[in-house]
Amino acid sequence: MSTPTITTTGLTKRFGDFTAVDALSITVPPGVIFAFLGANGSGKSTTIRMLIGLLRPTAGAITVNGIDVIREPRRVRDRIGYMGQKVSLYQGLTIRENVEFYAGLYGLAPAALTARWSALRERFGLAQVELEKPESLPAGIRQRAGLALATLHQPPVLFLDEPTAGVDVESRGLFWDVIQDEAARGVTVFVTTHFLEEVDYCDWVSFIDAGKLVADATPEDLRHRFSLGYRIEVELPAAAREAGARRLRGLGLAGLASSDAGFTGRTAQLDGPTLAALDALAVDIPEARIHIHQPPMTDVFRRVLGAEPSP
Amino acid sequence: MSEPRIRLRQLRKRFGARVALDGIDLDVDDRRVVGVVGPDGAGKTTLLRALAGLLEIEADQALVLGHDLRGDVTALKAAIGYVPQSFSLHRELSVIENLRFTARLHRLSEASFRRRAEALLGRTLLTPFVDRVAGALSGGMKQKLAVANALLPEPALLVLDEPTAGVDVVARGEILAILRETAARALVVTSTSYLDEAAMVDDLVYLDHGRVVASGTPEALRQHVPREVYRLWGPNARAIARTARGLAGVADARAAGRFARVEVERAAARDVAVRLRALPGAPVTLLEHVAPDMESMLRFYASA
Repeated sequence: MSTPTITTTGLTKRFGDFTAVDALSITVPPGVIFAFLGANGSGKSTTIRMLIGLLRPTAGAITVNGIDVIREPRRVRDRIGYMGQKVSLYQGLTIRENVEFYAGLYGLAPAALTARWSALRERFGLAQVELEKPESLPAGIRQRAGLALATLHQPPVLFLDEPTAGVDVESRGLFWDVIQDEAARGVTVFVTTHFLEEVDYCDWVSFIDAGKLVADATPEDLRHRFSLGYRIEVELPAAAREAGARRLRGLGLAGLASSDAGFTGRTAQLDGPTLAALDALAVDIPEARIHIHQPPMTDVFRRVLGAEPSP
Repeated sequence: MSEPRIRLRQLRKRFGARVALDGIDLDVDDRRVVGVVGPDGAGKTTLLRALAGLLEIEADQALVLGHDLRGDVTALKAAIGYVPQSFSLHRELSVIENLRFTARLHRLSEASFRRRAEALLGRTLLTPFVDRVAGALSGGMKQKLAVANALLPEPALLVLDEPTAGVDVVARGEILAILRETAARALVVTSTSYLDEAAMVDDLVYLDHGRVVASGTPEALRQHVPREVYRLWGPNARAIARTARGLAGVADARAAGRFARVEVERAAARDVAVRLRALPGAPVTLLEHVAPDMESMLRFYASA
């Protein structure tokens, strides 16, 4: 197994007698998109600030990309890209000037910068605005510039604190395309979000509440534990009902029942064989319409937080 | 109390050389929740600020609650609750002091201040935090306080600019429930970038480049989208999405957990669906055809 890119062990931060982060232990393997979630005030931003060496923990250990962050907080910052909730663009400088400023900090040579920036400018749709100052741009465009800047030096680890907050659906799609492409190249992405449907864009999700880890699993596993599972609905024409019913009974769906249009049933985990069987049914009965109702992550997390009872 | 009503004809707003609103036509006649959506820079915030009487505007007609936005808006402002995008209450004052401050501005009697504050604090679950300074509240609590504060004078029009941005799912649910209740007695106009919120409003106004591109119920706008949406279930959804993105006729493709969600132009849908079944190197176990959703609606108008 490869060495994890990020590990924390017993990570704790107290402010006076308030414990913001309480013995947090997480492990993030390389190339993984790691969603770090929690309610407002749960300790997310405090954790990120410790992970990137901006805040010294009260106790515990942190390793990021092989660096002991507590011992060498400065060294870690060269190896990561960071985008905060308030994008750190200098007002008064144009977007282009901000890029040049950051390139200087990262030690990017002018030729490398030119090539890299022209690719990023294209990808993030910033060509029209690169000569404008951030304060005159809408928040969503500033966020795009912020993400472009965080990836300017092609860091192996990205920390993104609510990159998609206040960003329109088009840009959010773009951000997740970028994040998934970066992960495919082996970049490890540590990301927070309040758009819970975005959890499904990630490989792993950790959820903290009052500084403590309350869930730590794949999105699919959380869905399995905190929902009634997938509801499968198959619409069938009258002539094909009997044949369809026989096939569906073979799938072992829970609570299989006939409906006005056909049949509905539930399955806790939608595995490959079930999907393949549904596909075979659709191929053999071309009039069949298959609808898979996936429990929304919003409901899953209401249950994780105890705002709604678990099944 | 004036009737909730908005009537705008060719409302325009310039900031220097930049045209923020470029001829907005809008009619809202009933108490309801109106959602303002659109891409970044579309003019959402400017429109909301104009409705709240905070901007000098030009227009052929600009009536809000019977007041002309082009004239003296002092009386209008008294009838409006406004929640701006960034927290703008007094951070150094406590929760109750912020509310009291607003009550004074609106010249509420002590008795009605107490009655309304108690109800709003209870409704927003902020009662245990009345003495905490606003700056020390969590993001979700700050927004709930901002909403409570805007509702304190019982406005006929409540205007909110992304009130739930960056707010956790539980606090977000609470704020939405409050907006729904408020719509029983006032007009609520709110911008949002959450898909589920855009789906739950009574009417949507889609803005782009400072104009109303589309308006109607979420359902009507959704049905208007000339796209088909497929979910491609398979062992490697990210590979499916990457490969699908390269096909002609595919408007958008993204892996979301077990499946790749692919939007296809309706005119090409039949052909593209066949090709989606046989993506090289990215096997598809099941191709599920789903109805266009809010995401496809917002994306469609952004590209239209």
